[in-house]
Amino acid sequence: MTGGHGYTETQGTEGTEGMDVTLRLPSGRVCNTQYAVHNSQSAIRDPQFDIYLVGVGGQGVLTIGSLLAEAALRQGIPANYYESKGMAQRGGFVKAQLRLGREVVGPNIPERGAHLVISMELSESLKGVRFVKPGHDFLVFGHVWAPTAVMLGKAPYPTLGQVREQVEAAGARWRYVAADVLPTYQGLPVPANIFVLGATMALTGLPEVLSVDDVRETVREKWRRAAERNLYAFQMGYDAYAGG
Amino acid sequence: METRRISGNEAVALGALRAGVKVAVGYPGTPSTGALTRMLAIQPEGVHVEWSTNEKVALEIATGAAWAGQRALCTMKMSGLNVAYDSLISIAYSGTVGGLVIYVADDPGVSAGMAEQDSRGFAALADMPMLEPATVTDAYEIMPFAFDLSEEIGGPVFVRLVTATANSLAPVQMLPRLDVPERESVLIRDIARFTKAGSAICMTQHRELIARLARAGQIIAERKINRLHLSEQTGGRPGLGIIAAGAVASYLAEGLEIAAGYGLAPAAAGAGPQAISTLEVVGVHPFPQEEAAALMRHCDTILVLEELEPHLEKSLYVTARQSGFAGRIIGKLDGTFSRIGEYNVSHVVRGIAVALGLEIPAAAFQGRREAEALAAQRPITVCAGCPHRGTYMAINQAIRKLRYKRDDVMVTGDIGCTILGMNPPFNTVWTEISMGASISLAQGYVHGGIETPVIATIGDSTFFHAGIPGLINAVQHQVPLTLIIMDNGWTSMTGMQVNPGTADERQGAGDRRLDIAQIVPALGVDHFFQVDPFDFADTAATIQRALTLPGVKVVLARQECVMPVLRRDERPGVVRVVAENCNLCKLCITVTGCPAISLAEGTIEIDPLLCYGCGLCVDVCNRDAIEFERRLG
Repeated sequence: MTGGHGYTETQGTEGTEGMDVTLRLPSGRVCNTQYAVHNSQSAIRDPQFDIYLVGVGGQGVLTIGSLLAEAALRQGIPANYYESKGMAQRGGFVKAQLRLGREVVGPNIPERGAHLVISMELSESLKGVRFVKPGHDFLVFGHVWAPTAVMLGKAPYPTLGQVREQVEAAGARWRYVAADVLPTYQGLPVPANIFVLGATMALTGLPEVLSVDDVRETVREKWRRAAERNLYAFQMGYDAYAGG
Repeated sequence: METRRISGNEAVALGALRAGVKVAVGYPGTPSTGALTRMLAIQPEGVHVEWSTNEKVALEIATGAAWAGQRALCTMKMSGLNVAYDSLISIAYSGTVGGLVIYVADDPGVSAGMAEQDSRGFAALADMPMLEPATVTDAYEIMPFAFDLSEEIGGPVFVRLVTATANSLAPVQMLPRLDVPERESVLIRDIARFTKAGSAICMTQHRELIARLARAGQIIAERKINRLHLSEQTGGRPGLGIIAAGAVASYLAEGLEIAAGYGLAPAAAGAGPQAISTLEVVGVHPFPQEEAAALMRHCDTILVLEELEPHLEKSLYVTARQSGFAGRIIGKLDGTFSRIGEYNVSHVVRGIAVALGLEIPAAAFQGRREAEALAAQRPITVCAGCPHRGTYMAINQAIRKLRYKRDDVMVTGDIGCTILGMNPPFNTVWTEISMGASISLAQGYVHGGIETPVIATIGDSTFFHAGIPGLINAVQHQVPLTLIIMDNGWTSMTGMQVNPGTADERQGAGDRRLDIAQIVPALGVDHFFQVDPFDFADTAATIQRALTLPGVKVVLARQECVMPVLRRDERPGVVRVVAENCNLCKLCITVTGCPAISLAEGTIEIDPLLCYGCGLCVDVCNRDAIEFERRLG
């Protein structure tokens, strides 16, 4: 904003020489070195990759999205991350949209646009179906979080077969992570969302964009104190589905 | 400087700090809350930051600071702008001394539930410039310009974001603070500017207001805030022009790329290549006259992409008439796009296809929508341990005990978590209009001839915000009704903001609490009761009694919100299931709807991680199958 506004930069701005401080609008699609890929170990084929996440508030679905956004930043990939919590605290529908690889990008993924859908709850998977790009991965964690009316037998809940049928009818690749056996760490089940994140890195095309190492490092840095436990969850999820 | 991942809301806050803002005030409201939350977390030295009682109060505070010569920011959601607008239009006519920026966040697509309004209409009504940055980075970088513009024209300026931008997190390169010199505060006595006393004064202000907006338009054009890209005309053939407003511009690059992939490259349109020119509009008010005229001289078809109302499109028609443009205009007024919901890249591609008269595959952006119909319904409810649960249960019980049918007793609702009583299993609350409306709406039902008891419900923050005048009216006009104030001590729905009723020890430094239990009796109500909604029997009996008494009755149901208590690790008790006593009558589930309770083999079970220990299920169970293991105080 220096140009034309009569401002001068304040003291202590070393390192900003040559910095572009003019208003940068969407069409200013100049290649910006701040996002240049600096991580040579990741094999990036198609850096434009959109991820649609769905689940129920309290499952940690937004944490997965946030971790992936941080991992992208670590690799120098531009990322727009948009969480929609609505009015949901625990127990309501939540979704998040992560758009990787464009300097300027609108937050919303169009229908049939997502290169990957991650669902943390069986029924909520159905709300992601219209967004998956045919031919791409749709990962379902089979956890069932039954609303009260379902629990009382007063309302229907979709079967696993119905969900799979819809996902496949949308032309997506079905990727399933069972929810009934979570490994334990020091006697307690590991966090399901981090386990699912590990499984996602093994089961889907995501590593084409984000390296397993970078995602693991992001998990490590996110929770310094509980790093061991979360890294174990990530690795167990990865190992359970790697090579499968 | 470093690159940080920040939200659009944070970008507004950090951008304002960069521009030397001195006073930042607002009232929480999704999707705008994050701006002031960030500002409060930073606690910037020399800057006054507060959550004010309501948006009108906040705006008047910001204006006072700006009239004293300082830079001031006021933040709110679109519904809050409705509240502040009475003052804002008057302030716009008076103008300002220091930079005054009003940040408003609109919610196209309705992620939070309220009227899907387009606040650009308010900019038109008040002749105020409005800037809508397209991305998080733009939001950060536009704020200093917004303050400059305000000072250069001498009037307040809007910055508008939509939910998708306000709540997006994106990497933004942090820029150094601008050298805005410290200013001496000024006192200006100028009744011709700062009062409305007399028609000459008012009409002069109106003239100056119009001149200020015109000046804003010139400055926005001079500084090239709106980006006009005129493509080269090939063979002298006019091309297609696209006008994209605010956030929609963030989809342009991708849309042009996808369109090309579908063979919608202008070359495919027939006789030779046709070029696409674009105008990305950040200054969404006033209408970018010069840039639009340039686009019309260059193109024979204009596609307008803007969410909600055809705000720019209507002005474009006027400009087209004035400039003799005879080409086509594609947008909402020709029926191509809807005024409802938010846009994505598909609107860009579809618009280009319509403009060029080309087809895209019908299924291009249409996924398998029938899948969603199979999903389980998941109505939102209150948290495990929410004190409002006890109040809804007690209202329902009181109505039942007085032998009324539930459909015979009106319970008006209000804004915030308290409205969640509209959902099952409670189905208690019937209406939701705006902050404070429950109390006055209830009076209308009484005057309208409803002879059964009329109940109004409201939360604490909402009561302070706009509920008190309605209660005063009920007392003055002696309207028989029962008001239930559900006081959980926080502004909770928007994520735990402090309000005037929050406990002293949770107030900001130097602030103090106002006790609703002192305010309400002082207003002269006929009967005042205070209850603990975790004490189900007493709450239900008290409400029942209130419903039978004459006059204005107020029941204050007070118990702190579960969220901050859990953060302090102070849950009030621990309950356990006595499985052998449970006959699976499911009353605990059907009456409380508590998410911590579920069915198990031959009994119910309670999730120890979710359970707060409020004990409402203990009160509901008539088989002693749930009991307190431990109960505090």
